[in-house]
Amino acid sequence: MDKSITIKVADLIGSPLCISAEDGQKVFDKVEGFLKDGRNVIISFDRVTMLISLFLNVAIGQLYGSFSEEEIRTKLRVEGLSGDDMELLKRVVDNAKRYYANPQQYDAAWQDEGDEDEQ
Amino acid sequence: MKLNVGTIRSTCNGFSSIAELAQDARALFLDNAELDFSSCRFFEANMAAPLYVVIARLRDDLNDVIIHNLRPATENILKKNQFLTVFNMGVLTDTNQTTLPFKIFKRQAGGQFNDYLDTYMRGRGIPSMSDALTKRFRQSLFEIFLNAAIHSDSELGIFVCGQFFPQLHRLDFTIADAGVGFRENVRRYTGQKRMSSCAAIEWALTEGNTTKTGNQPGGLGLKLIKEFIRKNEGKLQIVSRFGYYEFSSKGDSFNRMDHDFPGTCVNIEINTQDASSYCLKSELSSDDIF
Repeated sequence: MDKSITIKVADLIGSPLCISAEDGQKVFDKVEGFLKDGRNVIISFDRVTMLISLFLNVAIGQLYGSFSEEEIRTKLRVEGLSGDDMELLKRVVDNAKRYYANPQQYDAAWQDEGDEDEQ
Repeated sequence: MKLNVGTIRSTCNGFSSIAELAQDARALFLDNAELDFSSCRFFEANMAAPLYVVIARLRDDLNDVIIHNLRPATENILKKNQFLTVFNMGVLTDTNQTTLPFKIFKRQAGGQFNDYLDTYMRGRGIPSMSDALTKRFRQSLFEIFLNAAIHSDSELGIFVCGQFFPQLHRLDFTIADAGVGFRENVRRYTGQKRMSSCAAIEWALTEGNTTKTGNQPGGLGLKLIKEFIRKNEGKLQIVSRFGYYEFSSKGDSFNRMDHDFPGTCVNIEINTQDASSYCLKSELSSDDIF
């Protein structure tokens, strides 16, 4: 097996704050490229001091739009996350799987809800 | 034009009163707006953030905004939290260190917002909360700040302000923007042209719903904040256009305000005595997650 590529998030985005969608996109672009090449990827969150769902949705959740669950499970690992941040990532991943399984589902449920005329 | 500011607390009435000011002043352009506080008996300092939404709109329409007739106690607190510096009315030292000062951030200033929280949430009179509680609180504030940055569609900035109430063991932190609001974003995204403000907030609170475009998953932030607030026994308020939403240990409630608040405001009130453990000793590995 190829040696895994380690992406050090704090180095890549130049900050210990994983908070913005733009920075999440930087991470996504790198990871997506390597996964497309068939490489194994480790995303390292060492030195990251703040992590929110908005960032993870873009950086990792978005991968489920490009790769199968099986591909991601076998080729991607994360390290350097605390227990509660691992739980956060799990929520993001579960949400992404649901989203890409049926992205229109949530919208459709609201077709007839809450109409009220406001100026 | 004189605009009467009444007593303002972090309640539906308080937000509605601020929205009424905006509605009364809507037509002002290249004019004068005088905020008259003579009938304001109390002003909760964190409400400076939504009040500034009205002021930012007035200033954007090139109006001169002045503040008159503040009672001494109100003037003191608004000088301590530095709100009155935006009117060149001076600043007072916050001896008890119970304020997180009023500040205007550019939308891209997530790093500066982090510096602000570093400065004002540590080592002051602001409560010595557990590290785990502090982390969840800060994560929640970042979710709100970045959501405002993405969704407000406004260059007027993001207005923040906080106040610690030591006797009540409560810390309120308020983030506001003068943007298009939930209603406009959700209407655009869903195509529901007549969706109400309350329905739009409810839509956005549903896990997985997001108006963010670009075929990306999202819509977790507010859900996570609600879970945190539930455990903390705090309070979450969301105000956007006519919509008012409140979540606390008493449950959820939506109210349609009588007046149109010209933006969005989120207030989080946390119980600073909360000793719950937020540090999960998770056994999750990458294999479990993906």
